[in-house]
Amino acid sequence: MSLPIIPYLQEIARLEWLHKFFFVRTAPLVTPSYSRGFPELTNKTCTHALFCMMACPAPGAIDVIKTPDGWEPRIHKGHCIRCGLCVEACPNGVLTSGRILESMFNDSTRLSFSFRIDVDTNLCMGCGNCAVACPVNKLIDTQMAYGGRASTDQLLLKVSDGKCHVLHAELCTGCKTCENHCPNEAIRVSRLLEAVQIAEVEP
Amino acid sequence: MKRTVDVSVPLGPIHPCFKEPARVKCETKGEYVLSAEVELGYMKKGIERIMRGRPWQEVMFLAERVCGICSVIHNMVFIEALEQISAISVPERAALLRVIANELDRMQSHILANFSYCYTIEHETLGMYLLDVRERVMDELERITGARVTCSYIVPGGVRFDIRSEDVLHLRANLAAIEGEVTRYMRMFESGPLIGLRSKGVGILTREAALEAYAVGPTARASGMPDIDRRLRHPTYKTLGFTPVSRTEGDNYARIMVRFQEVLESIAIIRRCLDLLPVGPIRGGGIPGIGEIAYSGEAPRGELSYYIKTDAAGRVVDISIQTPSIMNIEACCHYMLKGVPSLADVSSTFVSADPCIACTER
Repeated sequence: MSLPIIPYLQEIARLEWLHKFFFVRTAPLVTPSYSRGFPELTNKTCTHALFCMMACPAPGAIDVIKTPDGWEPRIHKGHCIRCGLCVEACPNGVLTSGRILESMFNDSTRLSFSFRIDVDTNLCMGCGNCAVACPVNKLIDTQMAYGGRASTDQLLLKVSDGKCHVLHAELCTGCKTCENHCPNEAIRVSRLLEAVQIAEVEP
Repeated sequence: MKRTVDVSVPLGPIHPCFKEPARVKCETKGEYVLSAEVELGYMKKGIERIMRGRPWQEVMFLAERVCGICSVIHNMVFIEALEQISAISVPERAALLRVIANELDRMQSHILANFSYCYTIEHETLGMYLLDVRERVMDELERITGARVTCSYIVPGGVRFDIRSEDVLHLRANLAAIEGEVTRYMRMFESGPLIGLRSKGVGILTREAALEAYAVGPTARASGMPDIDRRLRHPTYKTLGFTPVSRTEGDNYARIMVRFQEVLESIAIIRRCLDLLPVGPIRGGGIPGIGEIAYSGEAPRGELSYYIKTDAAGRVVDISIQTPSIMNIEACCHYMLKGVPSLADVSSTFVSADPCIACTER
């Protein structure tokens, strides 16, 4: 520690530093194109598949609403965490954010969904609210839409003999309407997300 | 004649040198610290309570938000625990990409910790230099994952995005630049006399004390315990064959130098990953199922443990997280701060252990 000033002087006298000191300018603040921002709309048509809402991990961050021109996803920026799962989940490429759409195209990656309905038989009292509320049931059987009795067995949910039966789980769209209408929290829908990559087909 | 009065001097909870609020209470004799105590609890989030009952795809994002500085490792440990539960295998390319993202995160965390230390020893110029280097690392992280922090890069069975060939070139060029800069700053640390006066021999944690306090991470490695590194037990890191950094002095200077050396080590690991990167898929698929596991990984600050219990639909029934900083804070207040020569060294010693309060209180 004989002459402590020498290392400092050496540091200051570097050409690189002097050049920086006199000539360098602050780079303008631009968001790089690869930065994952809030999802934005592309020009593709939304087909109301609702996979964006199913994938979204933040409550209330995305809604698909009906406008005069058709369906349209709306991002609520206060809730969105910019994870980009909705972009990956959309089957039609309606949304875009950063490089996600591009890399999905290049690497042929996607998110696949399946839904699982669990009915707790101890809690279920067979009220049938779930079967009446289910929008899939309403489409299949018009009687159900008006709170009537089921006329067919091709339903998603059916209550018979005082028990709730899941007849065709593959029809479920994961909307959780049954869960919201259950007074006992006996029915639970889980959205099973799988990150997959389809192997490229060799020509 | 001068009289010495015993006083209790509180530092914090709001202190310009601390990154996050914590109160250090020092029993002093003059300026000589006899004993110290750390009070926590200023930023409790209750994040484990929020996680319970939620499906894994929501908890994955919550786990990242436990800590803002070391978010990638929280993501990695949580997802790898899920993979262990449901026996999901990861493609080789994805495993190496995970290591690259994790090491970039470790580099930026270590550089930030060293910046913070430079700030407390009032060497702000060097601190700003370090932040400049950190920006390069953050840019690389953003280029690969799309976000600077909370990257959400790792999903069960793989990673979300592939690395492109132009990104590999960019990463290699930037790594060379970072290596040059960091070596230069290490030389400054080694030769700088004022830095030496503030750092060497201050806040000593001996190997015995580190063992007693269960110190982890760089803090323990600076006291001569290289085996503490959890990366030695990670299957991907094992194939990369790295040797953990360790020093024997156990003072502030050793802790800072261990972090600098680990940044260089990380650069070497990333280069090896880029060399080994095979062509292949980045996602193997797989849905998490029912199970229960305790799993650990090496965060920038030490060992990070997750205990997870899931149900058949992949919902998290029970979760508890143990973060490394609580050990180091204990080691800091019981061993390092004792006998610190002046109050100015209290804040620098506390910061040199790199306490992450956000992790600790969750």
